[in-house]
Amino acid sequence: MASLPDNDRFFELRFESIGGLGAHAAGQILATAAVLRMGLNGAHFSSYGSEKKGSAIKSFIRLGPADQPIRTSAPVESPDVVVVFHRALLGHPATIAGFRANGTLIFTGPPGEIPDGLAQLPRTANVIRIDAQRIAAEEESRPNAVLLGTLAEAVPFLDAEILLDALNEAFARKRPEAVARNQAAFHRGTTEFERLPDIGRAEGDLPIIRPDPFWGYQTAPLGGVVLNAGSTAWNDLSTSRTGWLPVLDLDKCIHCGMCDMVCPDLCLVWTAEGNEPVPAAVRLTGVDYRYCKGCLRCIETCPTGAMTREAETPGLAERLGQPLFPQLDG
Amino acid sequence: MADLDTTVTPNVTSVRKEHLGSVDEAGQPARIRQHAEFRNGNEAAALAARDIGFHLMGYFPITPSTEVAEALSEMQAEGEHDIAMVPGDGEHGAAGICYGAALGGGRVLNVTSSQGLLYALEQLPVQAGTRTPMVLNVATRTVSGPLDIRCDHSDLYFVLNTGWIILLARDPQAVYDLNFAAVRIGEHKDVQLPVLVAYDGFFTSHQKRRLEVFDDPDAVRRFLGTRDTPITALDPTRPVTFGPYMNDPDLINNKMQLTEAMAAARQVIPEVLAELAVLTGRTYPLVDAYRMDDADVAVVLLNSAAETAKEVADRLRADGQKVGVVSLNALRPFPGEELRALFRNVRAVLVGDRGDSYGAGNGNLGLEIRAALQQDPENRTLVLNRIYGLGGRDFYDADAEQFFTEVLEAAKRGAVETPFAYHGAYAGDPEKKPLPGLPPIATEEVSRGMAQVTRDEASGRLKVELAPLWAMTAVPCRVAPGHGGCPGCGVFPVLHQAYSVLEGDLVVLFQTGCAMVVTTGYPHTAHRITYIHNLFQNGAATLSGLVEMYLERMRRGELPGSSDITFMMVTGDGGMDIGMGPALGAANRNHRMIILEYDNQGYMNTGAQLSYATPMGHRTATSEVGEARAGKAFHHKDTPQIFAACHLPYVFTASEGYPEDFMRKIAKAQWYAKREGLVYGKVLSFCPLNWRTTDDAAEEVLQAALDSCFFPLYEVEKGHTTLTYDPEAVGRRRPVADWLGQMGKTRHLLTPDNAERLKAIEDEVERRWQRLKIMHAHEGL
Ligand SMILES: Cc1ncc(C[n+]2csc(CCOP(=O)(O)OP(=O)(O)O)c2C)c(N)n1
Ligand code: SF4
Ligand SMILES: [Mg+2]
Repeated sequence: MASLPDNDRFFELRFESIGGLGAHAAGQILATAAVLRMGLNGAHFSSYGSEKKGSAIKSFIRLGPADQPIRTSAPVESPDVVVVFHRALLGHPATIAGFRANGTLIFTGPPGEIPDGLAQLPRTANVIRIDAQRIAAEEESRPNAVLLGTLAEAVPFLDAEILLDALNEAFARKRPEAVARNQAAFHRGTTEFERLPDIGRAEGDLPIIRPDPFWGYQTAPLGGVVLNAGSTAWNDLSTSRTGWLPVLDLDKCIHCGMCDMVCPDLCLVWTAEGNEPVPAAVRLTGVDYRYCKGCLRCIETCPTGAMTREAETPGLAERLGQPLFPQLDG
Repeated sequence: MADLDTTVTPNVTSVRKEHLGSVDEAGQPARIRQHAEFRNGNEAAALAARDIGFHLMGYFPITPSTEVAEALSEMQAEGEHDIAMVPGDGEHGAAGICYGAALGGGRVLNVTSSQGLLYALEQLPVQAGTRTPMVLNVATRTVSGPLDIRCDHSDLYFVLNTGWIILLARDPQAVYDLNFAAVRIGEHKDVQLPVLVAYDGFFTSHQKRRLEVFDDPDAVRRFLGTRDTPITALDPTRPVTFGPYMNDPDLINNKMQLTEAMAAARQVIPEVLAELAVLTGRTYPLVDAYRMDDADVAVVLLNSAAETAKEVADRLRADGQKVGVVSLNALRPFPGEELRALFRNVRAVLVGDRGDSYGAGNGNLGLEIRAALQQDPENRTLVLNRIYGLGGRDFYDADAEQFFTEVLEAAKRGAVETPFAYHGAYAGDPEKKPLPGLPPIATEEVSRGMAQVTRDEASGRLKVELAPLWAMTAVPCRVAPGHGGCPGCGVFPVLHQAYSVLEGDLVVLFQTGCAMVVTTGYPHTAHRITYIHNLFQNGAATLSGLVEMYLERMRRGELPGSSDITFMMVTGDGGMDIGMGPALGAANRNHRMIILEYDNQGYMNTGAQLSYATPMGHRTATSEVGEARAGKAFHHKDTPQIFAACHLPYVFTASEGYPEDFMRKIAKAQWYAKREGLVYGKVLSFCPLNWRTTDDAAEEVLQAALDSCFFPLYEVEKGHTTLTYDPEAVGRRRPVADWLGQMGKTRHLLTPDNAERLKAIEDEVERRWQRLKIMHAHEGL
């Protein structure tokens, strides 16, 4: 029977992720193992909207002693543990909102890199980095298997063996071929992480954030109408990419327009000469990566190989990107 | 009628779900063997359905209740139950399926939420009035509009007047337990009414908790017995007329019987729940009264929020405040007597309503509790009513604390300052200015003649000359980037290709589905032109109304600025299931509009359930693949041929993988929609997430669908069918297996086990293809 650090309150975990990285599944595996095999009581749920693959998702786990009923169904706001599945999420204040002074933050990122957002953490936070994306790719598994391994080490009352069993079981029936690969990823998760000392600068628990909506009942246009047509152009969807982006080689591009017909993110940037009404010529100048979700359909379609797939290293998108709507940057 | 002054033995208890201790009668342990699982409310409903062994389930997917059908589909594929699962064409259809099935004497299940419940609503009183039991699980969700998928009780409140029994389940365990009770209660000879089990969408439907599940199917069967109905529609030896034509003076008597059944249910429900408690060790009194023994004040809340309030009540009790929490396990029949007894010495109660009865000055629960107390001349309880948690707004400890503070204050002052208010609405910040949208698109910028349409005088048909693709990049797209579609989603190529050639001013209506949801997440919109959403069972009717208003206002000279608007409805393939009736209505009336269907072969927005357009054998969340089942059981719907039978000026199919062909057709569509009448087009649209391919597989997969003749490209122009791509003619015809082998949702069809099914698919594809070829070749078709 696992014993929690504090029996007078729930032990709470929050996974910060984007759809498709397996945060919901990881939360479910962990909570199921805790409740059915570690003698704890617990609850698990995720934040749902109509989110598609690639949009932000949070998964919540609440654990308590076996005889403690769990009654609240509200989201976890003061987490003991935050696991960040995509390092770009560290830039959002909501990711670490409500973080407890002695909490543990696990984030995925390459060795040596300390993202800016981490200084906002409490001074006493335990900060752990693991290159889950790379390990998952190398093991042909998914980041969630790696991160479960790291969690098992970082959270003392979690039993790594039980957790691994639960992970295996989750895949055994439906995807038996994945079991060995997940297991390898999990094991590397238990060993290949680094503890980063002296990261946070804040004192005490971080405040909870419950952001107000943009509009209120005294200000919103009646009937829910939206009057700023095309305003999704303000959104930044860079976090939807999972490691790859398309890069244009202007030397090879014949400006044929094929890629534009299949780009779901409408993010290719063109200039036209003699714009009346059919232009004399057009030029593809590049990609606005703010909107590109990295599907790579343009590469598939390009007849000349002018679009190629590149691994997304920090800063690459900023260096190569072209603004589709320069007025938004002003 | 119960006399108010008779002493009722209140069917209430202080602590719910106290284990009763092992009962031992006649040497038999009466407690049923159970084991713990970790499940959410939807899974609990599905497990209960499995254990009950309903004969039939009729359903239509809607968030957040869809998972029940999904879980049952998965279990069915593994042979874990043999409930006949019938996918309705919409909730109205599903409710009809259930009604018919229930008339057949077996046990019937349905599951829905929100708009689905409202769309089924019309069937509900029919079923109660004709005294036909079944069980309907509702994962509660707010009702449109605007569309919101999260929880409140506004859907449930519409059911209050239908004559259904309503049980409330505050957590997954209650969902499981109450489903068993629902079967017994509804079928009881003194009741014979359908029963609804309501639990909170997401808060309960999607939150996993420890769940005790029965181990002993025999004990369950003994508890449930069989449905013993004296009359059914399936006994030819006993002819019965169900649903006669009944006017006055008879109908009021039928309703009196229904009211008496509700009164009987007041006795039956506690009896059944007591019997169930012996098996489970868990009790469900009509009124769940928590720490109410000596309470001065109480907060009354339905379902999950009540549980949160209990946490706060414990804390306040520890501080010496005499507070309690009241919730209901049954809403119909309404436990008025129990509440009167319970509140007799309570000074003030705050009733929270997760749904308003707009203009009534109280939510429904507020009204009913006030009415119940008013019938007790001795009662002096002060009542406050608060509308909270609408549209899924979370209910935190702090909210419960606020409620207790207000009700304690009222008790202290002996008066209520604010009898009714909204809790948790936000006024807004007048200083905040919205981000500007993108600049409006001038008509000239989208009138560049990218497709030149001319009429061939000899044939009477249209010819289209397309500008080169590169030139089209100069046309500003009427949908902006920054939308929330998945990486690789085909919806946007469909829209972008269409918008590249559609000329001039355009007004679009999107039916519910992925395209709508991912483009209009409030407070933003991706649409740069006027856009309307209406529910996908009714979009075509809505747009046809707008078209006629446009024509009429033009005729009256009221719209000088609007020269020439084209109207287009964008719908998914699912919208052409549930919305088929209104779409055919619009087609038969031949309004000047385009219906553009992007066909991604399933209900993707709700997580990939089968649509009627899903081809046979394909794996979806409601046509799972396993030992016992291999995907969808029936062939794909031939929607273009249905519209062709409406004798429209123009019907076409297209693929986003063949832009030039699609763009020629959409240009023709606009020509016809502006001059002659309604056009319908179906465009095959890539969905990597649910087809289970990589995000960049579109080109290959879409091409294989065309080359295998699964998805023939053709048009029906003024009644003449023309194939616009014939893979045989260009030597590219491939077996259907070439296409099926490329997607995770279909790969199972290539295993030897599924050879027969594959053959059936091939045969059907070939039959439809040959038919089209004949039509193509024939002058008159
Ligand atoms: C009356 C009603 N029933 C069910 C739903 C849930 N629902 C919303 S979108 C959708 C599926 C739409 O499928 P389709 O039209 O094919 O569009 P897609 O999501 O695949 O793009 C369903 C079932 C609803 N909103 N309203
Ligand atoms: S689920 Fe499919 S149709 Fe829906 S947004 Fe994703 S890719 Fe597009
Ligand atoms: Mg669809």
